[in-house]
Amino acid sequence: MKEVPAKIEHNNQWIVIKLGIGEDRIVLPAPINQEILFKAVADVAERKNILIITVKTDKETVYKILSVEKVLAVLKKLILGSCNAYRLMAYFMSPAIRGGVMIKDAAWEKGSVVVVQSGIWFVSATKQICVPVTDVAAIELTKRDVQGKPTEVVRIDHLESGEVVSSLVLCPLSTLQVLYNFLKDTTKGMDMKGTELDGVDQQVAMLIYSGMDSHAIENMLNIPHKQLDAIYDKVLKLGLAEVVTIRREVQLTTKGVRYISDATKSQTN
Amino acid sequence: MGKILIVDDTLFMRTLLKNILFSGGHTIAGEAGDGEEAVAKYKELKPDLVTMDVVMPKMNGIEALKAIKAVDPGARIVMCTAVGQEQMVKLAIKSGAKGYIVKPFQAPKVLEEVKNVLAT
Repeated sequence: MKEVPAKIEHNNQWIVIKLGIGEDRIVLPAPINQEILFKAVADVAERKNILIITVKTDKETVYKILSVEKVLAVLKKLILGSCNAYRLMAYFMSPAIRGGVMIKDAAWEKGSVVVVQSGIWFVSATKQICVPVTDVAAIELTKRDVQGKPTEVVRIDHLESGEVVSSLVLCPLSTLQVLYNFLKDTTKGMDMKGTELDGVDQQVAMLIYSGMDSHAIENMLNIPHKQLDAIYDKVLKLGLAEVVTIRREVQLTTKGVRYISDATKSQTN
Repeated sequence: MGKILIVDDTLFMRTLLKNILFSGGHTIAGEAGDGEEAVAKYKELKPDLVTMDVVMPKMNGIEALKAIKAVDPGARIVMCTAVGQEQMVKLAIKSGAKGYIVKPFQAPKVLEEVKNVLAT
């Protein structure tokens, strides 16, 4: 068993430990004194350089481990290879499209797709990419040109630092269908009927997606401010958007008019 | 910064692209609503770059791309199409497209792609 320096959250404080890494478990020394079998891990998530491991035995315990990238990479690879998850060997391309722009040097990587409670992991010899389920924007069975012929792939659209990123998964069609159904089921909480927004509402939503502000949207669609406000209310209520800035429209009071009049006078005198 | 011709059969998409490109400091050389018009406008306006929709009436984007390339082999054309039509990428790149944008797109990425293609 190898020992590596790490920090672990214990009683709301980060403490330095010598983390033991074995083939099928990690050992957390005193004051935690716990052995975690990889097969008991029910969920793995990552926030920046913190690995969050949920272990399910009689009760559910969450461990937060902070370490250097190299150590976390080894930990992730070992845990994702043995934890309690839906796992399949596949080729993946992540990211394949970023913000609507095809990534030219993107290549298929041989590895596995591991679906845990909170996310989808793409794991290869050199990469471990986590897509949290809450960041999944769309899952689609689609076709992609692979070695000269149109081939079925699963496309997963997800948000990454405010950008929409698409990743592709390629494996035998029957497995692909199972993966698609599994992912659809995992993310069904975000499914909608598709009839919630009318034509103008959808155009507004697309313009928001493209990064247009309210002023640009009003001008482009030639709609009054009140109509746009009502559409914003609708998309907010549906949970399709969130408020980032509140801008107030104001008009001058008598005091304000007097101030400006005086200021103008002093400039012209 | 470049002089750009926007080709798309929907006014909405043309307006959106126009806004994005304008915000990035580019000049809009003109607009076309189908492939035939695109080829004619390209010859007339000689833009630095063309954003070209794929599915259009009369002449589609791939045919228009080939026609423009026949006139000007150095033409910089960025193909622009809807999700699910990514298999067209290979055909478009093979036919001389310099870049590819998938709708819906985000403004900063479109500007980045246009900048990259203009630099070629």
